[in-house]
Amino acid sequence: VVGTAVALLAATVGVPAAQGVAPMPVTATFVVEQRVALTLSSATLTFPDANPETQPQLGALEGPLTIRARAAGQPGTTAVLTLQASDDLRSGLDVIPAGAITWTASGPGFVPGTLSSTTAQTVGTWATPGQHVGAQTFLLANSWQYAVGSYSVRLTYTLVTP
Amino acid sequence: MNAMSGNRIGLLSCFLLLGCASVASAQRSALEVTPAAFSFPSADPDTTPVIDAPPLQVHYRVTGNPAQWMITVRAQDALTSGMSTIDVSNESWTATPAPPFNSGTLSTMDQTLAQGTGNAHAFASVTFSLRNSWNYSAGTYSQTLIFTLVTP
Repeated sequence: VVGTAVALLAATVGVPAAQGVAPMPVTATFVVEQRVALTLSSATLTFPDANPETQPQLGALEGPLTIRARAAGQPGTTAVLTLQASDDLRSGLDVIPAGAITWTASGPGFVPGTLSSTTAQTVGTWATPGQHVGAQTFLLANSWQYAVGSYSVRLTYTLVTP
Repeated sequence: MNAMSGNRIGLLSCFLLLGCASVASAQRSALEVTPAAFSFPSADPDTTPVIDAPPLQVHYRVTGNPAQWMITVRAQDALTSGMSTIDVSNESWTATPAPPFNSGTLSTMDQTLAQGTGNAHAFASVTFSLRNSWNYSAGTYSQTLIFTLVTP
C-alpha cells in the first residue's frame, strides 16, 4: 500500500505540463518627438571667374552640394526643404541678381530651381517620416554685365514638417 | 484484521503524501518585475542610434527543487501609436547576472530570459534597448511585455 502511495505521488509531481506563476505584464512606452535635421556637404559655394564667352555658365568649385534631410513628422504629413537668398549677390554697390544662380537636382524628391531673395524656393518634398539624400548642382549665369568685384550672398535652407 | 489496518494506514499515507505534493507544487515559484511600466527616452537618431530604457528589476524565487525553471519574455505586439508601428525586432535586452540570465532580441514569441535548475531566489537587472530611427513617425508608442516564470 505504501508503494502505491509513492507511485501516485511520483505521478502527481512528475506531470510534464509546464506550470508557472501568473504572467507579469510590463508596459513599455516610447515618445517619438516631431523633429527635423539637415546636413550639407559644404557651408560655402564658390564660383570661379571665367570668360563669359567661353563659359556662360559657372559651376561651383565645391561641386554638387550633397544634402541629407531627415524628418520625423506625424504620419501622412510632408516635409519641405526650401532655399532662399538673403539678398542679391553684392560687391559694394554692384549687384548680381540672385536669380542668376540656378540648380539642377538629383535624388528622390529633390527638384531643380532658381534662387530668389524674395521667395523661398522648394528644394525637395518628402512624405514623413524618413531620411532623404540628394544633391544640388549650382550654376551661375556668367555675363559681361557684371562689374569687377568679389560678390557674396547668404543662402538659407529651411526644412519644415507640419 | 492486521491486513485491513495496514490498508487504512496505507490509504491515509497516500492522501497525506498527495496533499503535501499539491501544496509543494503551488508554492514552487514567484516572479516580480518592477516597475510595471518603463519608457524609452525620446532621442535624436543621429546622436542616439540606440536608446536604453531604465533597468527593470526582476525578483524571482523557485522552490521545490525542479529539474529546470525558465523565465521568458515576449511582446504582445509591436510598439504601436495609432496606425504607426515599430517592429519588436528593433528591441533587445541585456541582463545581469549572466548566467542564469542572457541577452536577446524581443519577439512576439516567448524568448528565454533566464533558465536554471533547482531552487533559486535572487534579483536580476534587465535593460531593454530600442534601435532608434528617422523612419519612426512622431507619436506616443506603447506595448505590453509579458514575463513568465515556468517550472515543470
